[in-house]
Amino acid sequence: MSGNLERRYRRVLRLLPGWYRDKWEEDMVAAFLDGWLTGDPDADEYITRAAGPSAAEVASVAGLAVRLYLSGAGAPRRHIAWGQAMRWAVLAVTLVQATRGLDTLVLTSWSRHLFGWLPVAPASLAVTVPGGPWPPAVWYLVCYAWIVVFVTLVLRYYRTAQVIAALAIVPDLVQVLVGQFGARFLAAPIGPWAFWILLNLAPVLAMTAFHRDGPPAAPERWLLALPAVYLLVYLPLLALQATGNSAWLPDFSGLYCLMVALACLAHAPRARSRQAAGSGVWSLTLALLAADAGAYRMFSIADYLHDPHLISVCLAELLILLAAVALVAPDAARAARTAAPAPPPCPDTMAA
Amino acid sequence: MTGQAFFVLTALAGGPRHGYGIVGEVADLSGGRVKLKIGSLYGVLERLAAEGLIEADREEAHDGRLRRYYRLTRNGRGALAEEAELRAATARVVRARLGPSGAEAAG
Repeated sequence: MSGNLERRYRRVLRLLPGWYRDKWEEDMVAAFLDGWLTGDPDADEYITRAAGPSAAEVASVAGLAVRLYLSGAGAPRRHIAWGQAMRWAVLAVTLVQATRGLDTLVLTSWSRHLFGWLPVAPASLAVTVPGGPWPPAVWYLVCYAWIVVFVTLVLRYYRTAQVIAALAIVPDLVQVLVGQFGARFLAAPIGPWAFWILLNLAPVLAMTAFHRDGPPAAPERWLLALPAVYLLVYLPLLALQATGNSAWLPDFSGLYCLMVALACLAHAPRARSRQAAGSGVWSLTLALLAADAGAYRMFSIADYLHDPHLISVCLAELLILLAAVALVAPDAARAARTAAPAPPPCPDTMAA
Repeated sequence: MTGQAFFVLTALAGGPRHGYGIVGEVADLSGGRVKLKIGSLYGVLERLAAEGLIEADREEAHDGRLRRYYRLTRNGRGALAEEAELRAATARVVRARLGPSGAEAAG
């Protein structure tokens, strides 16, 4: 009697992980059919022919599937590793964005003489606000918003972080669209699109991996990582810029590749020893970050096609990234299949 | 504790229920405000079972399908009582702050 309706619902349930279906599928199907069938043979025959799971029902199953795949609640270790690696990768990307925001905050404060004890900021360090449809205040607000997103994510205010991040990526999208229409679809820049998709949209979507069921991050370590990354990475770059050596500076995409490559090198001894608890999840995290950084580098090369020297630099950055990630790839692959339970996450490797 | 989990535990406080029975009871308890979808219900049930707040009671055949009934555990009863007390205390504070004018506006 329930044949077609049941079949349609079971098809939707295929979104769920196999281990979960083994445990709950029959129960879910029974509850679903109870909601539809009346006990009257004529009515039930019509219902099973004509009815199907509603969009809201499908959405609830899809939401459950995302949570199960990414959170690892009650899941086999393989899923736990993927979920954990995804959360750490999102934290790392928002850390990168927050560090950019911190850099803007420091440079703006310096150029406005808020640090009275410092000499006047060199002109080469002036913050350049990109042109576009937004007043500069919006651009500054977006930069600082990422600091708030990072801090709220680390402190487990996930919903707040998701809402602020979703709002923060809108002005950039408008900016990219305006650039696209301004170029009349001819020779429109690819780099801004790649940046928006890989460093704005992707982390915001992947924030669904954060919720109460997931193991908490170690907040004090991640929070310390923000000034640490700023001091270790951005200050040397500022020094180069201030001393007129900015020709040596990679662009943001190149810097992202090199930072991930350095993190891979720092983690490689642990990944090779396979003994450190949670090393596999870190390797998987770094592999995800390398994929993100590599994709951004590849797409943004398109904006340098006019300069063979810059293309060589971009390709060298990609090769360095590939070589570095190859060192942790076997450990990451092992973690993707079966991973040991991870210890509380520690961002020290990222800050290295 | 989420609102959905609170309603599911409250539904089971009246005795063991099967999946769709919980959906109906939650709708009744909330005056129709909370309409659980099956995917959401089983997300909540799975979490509550993992926390040891509910457990399977029995299975019964109905129209050729097995209905699994769930019941509150001792811990579940305690957690529900604690949550109810917390919510009642919060409601008392809100009512006190709103005063009689707030009650009139709500009424």
